[in-house]
Amino acid sequence: MRKMGALLLSAAMVLSLAACGGSGNQAGSSAAQTAETTAAGTTAGTTAGTTAGTLSVAIWDKNQEPGLTKILEDFTAETGIKAKIQVTPWEQYWTMLEAGATGGSLPDVFWMHSNEFSRYAEYEMLLDLNDRIAGSDKIELDKFPADIIDLYTWNDKQYAVPKDIDTIALWYNKTMFDEAGLSYPDASWTWDDFAEACQKLTKADGSQYGYSLKPSNNQDGWYNMVYDFGGEIISEDQKSSGFDKAGTIAAIEFVTDLVKQGYTPSYETMTENNPEALFEAGTVGMITMGSWMLPELCNNDYVKANGDIAVLPKGTETGRRSSIYNGLGWAAAVNTQMPEEAWSLIEYMGSQKAQQKQSDLGVVISAYEGTTDNWIATYPDFNLQAYLDMMGDMVIRPHSKTTVTWENMTSEKLVDAWTGARSVQDVCADIAEEMNSLLASE
Amino acid sequence: MSKKTAINRIIIHTVLILGCIVMIVPFAWMFLTAFKTSSEATQISPFVIFPTAFRLDAFKSVMSKMNFLLLYKNTMVLIIGRVICAVLTATMAGYALGRLNFMGKGLAFSLVLFQMMVPSQIFIIPQYLMVSKLGMLNTSFALIFPGLVTAFGTFLLRQAFMGLPGELEEAARLDGCNIFQTFLYVMAPLTKSSMVALGIFTALFGYKDLMWPLVVNIEQTTMPLSAALAKLQGQFTANYPELMAASLLACIPMIVIYIIFQKQFIEGIATSGGKL
Amino acid sequence: MTVKTKRKGTRQSRNEFIWGWIFLLPTMAGLMILNIIPIFQTVYQSFFKTGAFGKGNVFIGLDNYIKMAGDSAVWQALFNTFKYTLVEVPVSIVIAIILAVLINQKLRGRTVYRVIYFLPMVAAPAAVAMVWRWLYNTEFGLLNHLRNMAGLGSVSWISNPRIAFISVAVVGIWSVIGYNMVLFLAGLQEIPRDFYEAASIDGANGIYQFFRITLPLISPTMFFVTVTRTIGALQVFDSIYMMMDRTNPALPKTQSLVYLFYKYSFTEGNKGYGSAIVVLLLAVIMVITVIQMICQKKWVSYN
Repeated sequence: MRKMGALLLSAAMVLSLAACGGSGNQAGSSAAQTAETTAAGTTAGTTAGTTAGTLSVAIWDKNQEPGLTKILEDFTAETGIKAKIQVTPWEQYWTMLEAGATGGSLPDVFWMHSNEFSRYAEYEMLLDLNDRIAGSDKIELDKFPADIIDLYTWNDKQYAVPKDIDTIALWYNKTMFDEAGLSYPDASWTWDDFAEACQKLTKADGSQYGYSLKPSNNQDGWYNMVYDFGGEIISEDQKSSGFDKAGTIAAIEFVTDLVKQGYTPSYETMTENNPEALFEAGTVGMITMGSWMLPELCNNDYVKANGDIAVLPKGTETGRRSSIYNGLGWAAAVNTQMPEEAWSLIEYMGSQKAQQKQSDLGVVISAYEGTTDNWIATYPDFNLQAYLDMMGDMVIRPHSKTTVTWENMTSEKLVDAWTGARSVQDVCADIAEEMNSLLASE
Repeated sequence: MSKKTAINRIIIHTVLILGCIVMIVPFAWMFLTAFKTSSEATQISPFVIFPTAFRLDAFKSVMSKMNFLLLYKNTMVLIIGRVICAVLTATMAGYALGRLNFMGKGLAFSLVLFQMMVPSQIFIIPQYLMVSKLGMLNTSFALIFPGLVTAFGTFLLRQAFMGLPGELEEAARLDGCNIFQTFLYVMAPLTKSSMVALGIFTALFGYKDLMWPLVVNIEQTTMPLSAALAKLQGQFTANYPELMAASLLACIPMIVIYIIFQKQFIEGIATSGGKL
Repeated sequence: MTVKTKRKGTRQSRNEFIWGWIFLLPTMAGLMILNIIPIFQTVYQSFFKTGAFGKGNVFIGLDNYIKMAGDSAVWQALFNTFKYTLVEVPVSIVIAIILAVLINQKLRGRTVYRVIYFLPMVAAPAAVAMVWRWLYNTEFGLLNHLRNMAGLGSVSWISNPRIAFISVAVVGIWSVIGYNMVLFLAGLQEIPRDFYEAASIDGANGIYQFFRITLPLISPTMFFVTVTRTIGALQVFDSIYMMMDRTNPALPKTQSLVYLFYKYSFTEGNKGYGSAIVVLLLAVIMVITVIQMICQKKWVSYN
């Protein structure tokens, strides 16, 4: 025991010389490290030992890493500037970024999202790209959706270059439809048709249900219905909540009715398992999913055998078939040590060539107009065209300066509506009130 | 009399074994699920307990998505860093508080006691801001930071030193040692078992620390196992075999170390709680 | 204890003073910087509305506390934390003592038992939470499957507001039994065999011996375990965070104070409010620990 203790201690001491001391350099020399700038603002390339002048690129979607790495290789070949991708999962990405912003050490280039953009822009954390874009011949702003451009504009200046867009579509289980004698969903479907199918797909023994949706599945779920029913989530000027509109309430009631009538699994089951999990387990016949979930679904054996994609149903009365969409942007840190190189990278990623390749590799639907023809071929067994068809009527994802706070509040409050504990009217009234006060304090 | 004892024994063993089953079932379930396919894991009728074949797919998938060697290394760095710092600082402080006599000693010890009673969350944000301002987020230093000193360790070593015979210092002084030499050559070596106990205690709780690594938000390259596992739930939303495979890969090293050194582990924990 | 020092002359005591503080310096410096000052900083932070990125903090005095006083979610969370503690601590201690007493007999395989019971302590909390989450799953979990096989209906272990906190507590108990047991075993081994032998000769049976000999003599250990486990239980977070989704209907009746702290400070960026919640937790723990210390005089017997 004594000897063991002594051995442990001495072994530990030897190793500690590497760990405890000089940990700052240690961090810098690990190959995949971001080019960290300390609060004292040392010059770039002092990250001991690494390839001096490698841009750090932060993203949150692991699925996109392989494709983006390939495009970055092209970039390096063309410009000689090196870049390295760092993936931090969505849940932690923003905490990571905020910590970097607070400490003065943001990654050089990183993804921006509508949820958080305004905060970063307002507090001047982003590099102003306006003049550079104007003077660039690779970036053609008019080829990107206007909404996305607006998303990343602050005080009339552009702070991020659009990267991609995502839409929402309907996934259905062909086998279950065949068994129930239903014809597959198509462009003629309304939400009423959808509800009817939910009923027909639900089996009395509880082994199969029509649909599953959590209150937190907003962009990929009930937000779409809200707009189809004539409601809205937030006003155009982002100053007032849309939860007191009749259309909004009707849409949410549509979903909670499905739950009430038993066409969805029990609320406990829905909350413990994501919709895609239930779809993959063969528990539900239909789910609504965003295009970012393609790698997960298309690579699943069960879905490969039984699933396919269709466009979302349209509003029964309005005839509207909307898809909430969002687009990421490439932004650079205001205090990056390599602004010109960072801009080079962003410019490249926004150019038609890179955008085309992004689609071709099946990474995501690129934002650049007309680059999507080859994207469909990424998963040939599935009807990816449905996602492209949904681009006909897109509503930008509702956002404001405090998006995350009111979105979370909304999901939490809606739990009562889903479980039937309170009426949808009451819950929506609460949400509207609280959201309005949040928006007023922005 | 012995028949009654025999029946007693059987009852006791039965109870203990039932308890053991409860302890082990979750691990067994983790193990079995990791070898199933995603469909087998979510099948209800019929329910699948044993996988039809022991597939390594989940493991392969998870290992390609997470760099386990890197995670092990980061975790080791965290543990070893904290253990060194804890043992060094606590032994010195414990000696001072336990054997030396000087002004301010009482106050110092009260501060030590106080820290032990405070919920650790109260330190998180200020420590996070400190590390952030130093620009040391996402470094090994950040992982070790909260463990640079340990009130608990100080308390433990103080107890250990207080338990040593008083004549030792006299003898050392007669041999011509000053206070420092007395400490280094005579006193400290006698508290080895407490040091080991502290080391094990620190290692175990460093390994299990979740909120701090999660918050200091270590990037993939410097994340330890606990935080990496917590983040998994966001990445593999539906795939329980993969989640379980990752959990197994995270747990097995520590479990193996534990089984090999179980005597030291258990004695270490017992010592750390036993000397009051 | 420290009365051994005779007045040896100022040189000796000055030496001790210097060396004492030198040895103490790293720990004290660390304690001050890492722990004591942060306590004040957190309290200080609770008087502010936090701006983004550490800039733009606005002093709002007691507003956070006033808001907290009126925030039913906070009071519910406090209540939830108590509920959890009242289940986890006593049950884990009682079971651990019984196990310790049983294993302490000259049993075959006691080492094996010790190893197995301590095993949950060694597993990573995130892994533990994930596998229990899967075991508890209403639709696909093993527990409900076993119930169904026995002809019983399924139970929503972690989504039923009334029992979710118990399910979470079970995971806590499962993890910590081994730890408690080991401490009790160590305490038990300090009790001289003679006491039991004398009692047997006097005709006392096992149960009597347990209550009259074992319990009193192990009360110092019990006290230590109770205090530390209570402080630990009041800080429960990991298992709730990992096992319950944000849309879980049982969350309002299960979320703990630390869970709220994490939510406000890190998910929503409102560190001022989060700090106020932590200060509340600090006050609660202080009060409870002091109460326990006072009660110590009543039921703990030191030799």
